[in-house]
Amino acid sequence: MSNLTPAKGKEQPGLRYPSNGKTIYHRPLNRAKTSELSQASFAYLFSEMVGYASKRIESIQDLEKRLNTQGHPIGLKLLDLLLHREPARTQTRPLTIITLLHLIKQQLWTHLFGRAADGLEKSSDPSRPDEYMIIDNEPLVNRYISVPRDMSQLNCAAFVAGIIEGVCDGSAFPARVTAHSVGKQQATPAADGGGEDGGEGKEMWPGRTVFLVKFAPEVLERESFLGKG
Amino acid sequence: MPVQVFSFYIFDRHTECIYSKLWIAPPPPRPLSTVPAHTSNHELSPSPTATALHRQSAPPASTTTSAVGSNNGGGGAYRDSRSAAARAKDDAKLIFGTVFSLRNMVRKLGGDDDAFISYRTAQYKLHYYETPSSLRFAMLTEPGALSMRNVLHQIYINLWVEYVVKNPLSPVEHKNGEGVKNEMFEMGLDKFVRGLM
Amino acid sequence: MKDLVACPTLVFPTVDDTNTAYRGVIALLIINKAGGLIYNRTFGEGLNQLNSNDYLVLAGTFHGVHAITARLNPLREHQAAHYHAQQQHQHQASGSLGGGGSSGGGGQGGPLPSRPEPPSGLEVMETENFRLQCFNTQTGTKFLLFTDTMQANVDVAMRKVYDLYADYVMKNPFYQLEMPVRCDMFDRKLNSYIREINNSR
Repeated sequence: MSNLTPAKGKEQPGLRYPSNGKTIYHRPLNRAKTSELSQASFAYLFSEMVGYASKRIESIQDLEKRLNTQGHPIGLKLLDLLLHREPARTQTRPLTIITLLHLIKQQLWTHLFGRAADGLEKSSDPSRPDEYMIIDNEPLVNRYISVPRDMSQLNCAAFVAGIIEGVCDGSAFPARVTAHSVGKQQATPAADGGGEDGGEGKEMWPGRTVFLVKFAPEVLERESFLGKG
Repeated sequence: MPVQVFSFYIFDRHTECIYSKLWIAPPPPRPLSTVPAHTSNHELSPSPTATALHRQSAPPASTTTSAVGSNNGGGGAYRDSRSAAARAKDDAKLIFGTVFSLRNMVRKLGGDDDAFISYRTAQYKLHYYETPSSLRFAMLTEPGALSMRNVLHQIYINLWVEYVVKNPLSPVEHKNGEGVKNEMFEMGLDKFVRGLM
Repeated sequence: MKDLVACPTLVFPTVDDTNTAYRGVIALLIINKAGGLIYNRTFGEGLNQLNSNDYLVLAGTFHGVHAITARLNPLREHQAAHYHAQQQHQHQASGSLGGGGSSGGGGQGGPLPSRPEPPSGLEVMETENFRLQCFNTQTGTKFLLFTDTMQANVDVAMRKVYDLYADYVMKNPFYQLEMPVRCDMFDRKLNSYIREINNSR
């Protein structure tokens, strides 16, 4: 920031340029790869984003849709950056569902949250071969969020789902991505004494979130052709 | 360990302030004048240096005025002293309101056997002691002071009971601090408190 | 003084029961800047449970008492006088410099006059059965932590509670300012923190 001095001689109203002519856009793209942001400032920003999105909504789905829409362009744009940062050999667009999902689980997650996602699963239901699940035990965007009782289906990680959707769309794998809370231990305090059926994940990770990726039929169709070839 | 005592109040069971005494010097006369008026009516408080400064200078210089009760004498000539007396009277009322509210709050939360002992702010500490006959003692000291509970208790049994209760000339009820103008009690109290400082 | 203290009639009831001695942090109340109770949680035995209306009254009363205790500073006259003297000094200094010391300005040439710190209200209250620590934030929100009389490091606990409040209440998009705090995350983090310090003794 120290080199942000106005250009000599001519007064420039508005934008200021560094004296050496180098802006943030002149920096090599890999330079900021490991830089970090304040989580508090992100939390406040995200809080305002959620507040903005919840104005005049008809339903919870509405709100999630809006958050999704906010995330979508980020995913589209991030895809280019992520591929650019890959080593030259692997700098190709993912061609199969599995490589795409791996890109999301590893590169995208590391870029956004500083760690890989906690799980990647294919739907066990044979009638839904188009559904995949990316699991995050503690989504960073939800770190400080307590969802009110009357909005219990809401998961603000819909924003992250939007980013994933953007990445999928950008790689020509059109998909619908939604975020679902599965660690519902806190929402039903009455049942938490008897209901031990939930498995170990619920107790440990109250904020556990599943991102359900549902690919469009043409993606599956193409995938099956590729598999044969 | 010496402790700076600021003031002492006794309230009777009719919630009336029947005795009060200050051990702090009256404030230096305020310069009238060129100074803008915007600060004059605010409660201004402690820069740490100010506190330190006055703590050093206060005890030796202290003129001990028994403020409450003397407020209707004096006449109009000394505006300053009269308003100081009025302020002291207001203070006594505020202190009683405070300790009474806190005492009730404490009883509500801690049970009927619980008793409010003291509170402190950054500027002072208030110690409270209530006798079974609903006589209430309050003492304001510097904030770092340790518990003054036994001091208040001593004042009760060794000064109040000895010199006021056992004094056949002392009235049973002390309207407006009358009767607590008791030389023995006042001298004993002053000596006792100065011994602490 | 010595002989007075050694007086044999001096008998005070002491906190004797073992179950009342170590209770750690008993309860937390948060009062908003208008005196409304916005959070109320009990962590352990030791205080009477009141009904919710009584808690509201208590919060309002405490709010008023707190304001009065801030005004009762016995040295305020002295400090005001001291401040005045300081101000006048500054005023003269700025006057001699030729700068127009207008009433609002307060010496624009010299250093800013040191503004006295605002009087703090009640910070700690002690009773026979419990201890109440009050933390008043810059914005006027009050945190009341009730502990047993032996509890140490309440400042640290208070700091942590404030941290949790700043994180899990103020950063929560669904929390409306000055309204009652209903944040699961805050409850959860607070509970586990208090349990931790209560168990560590």
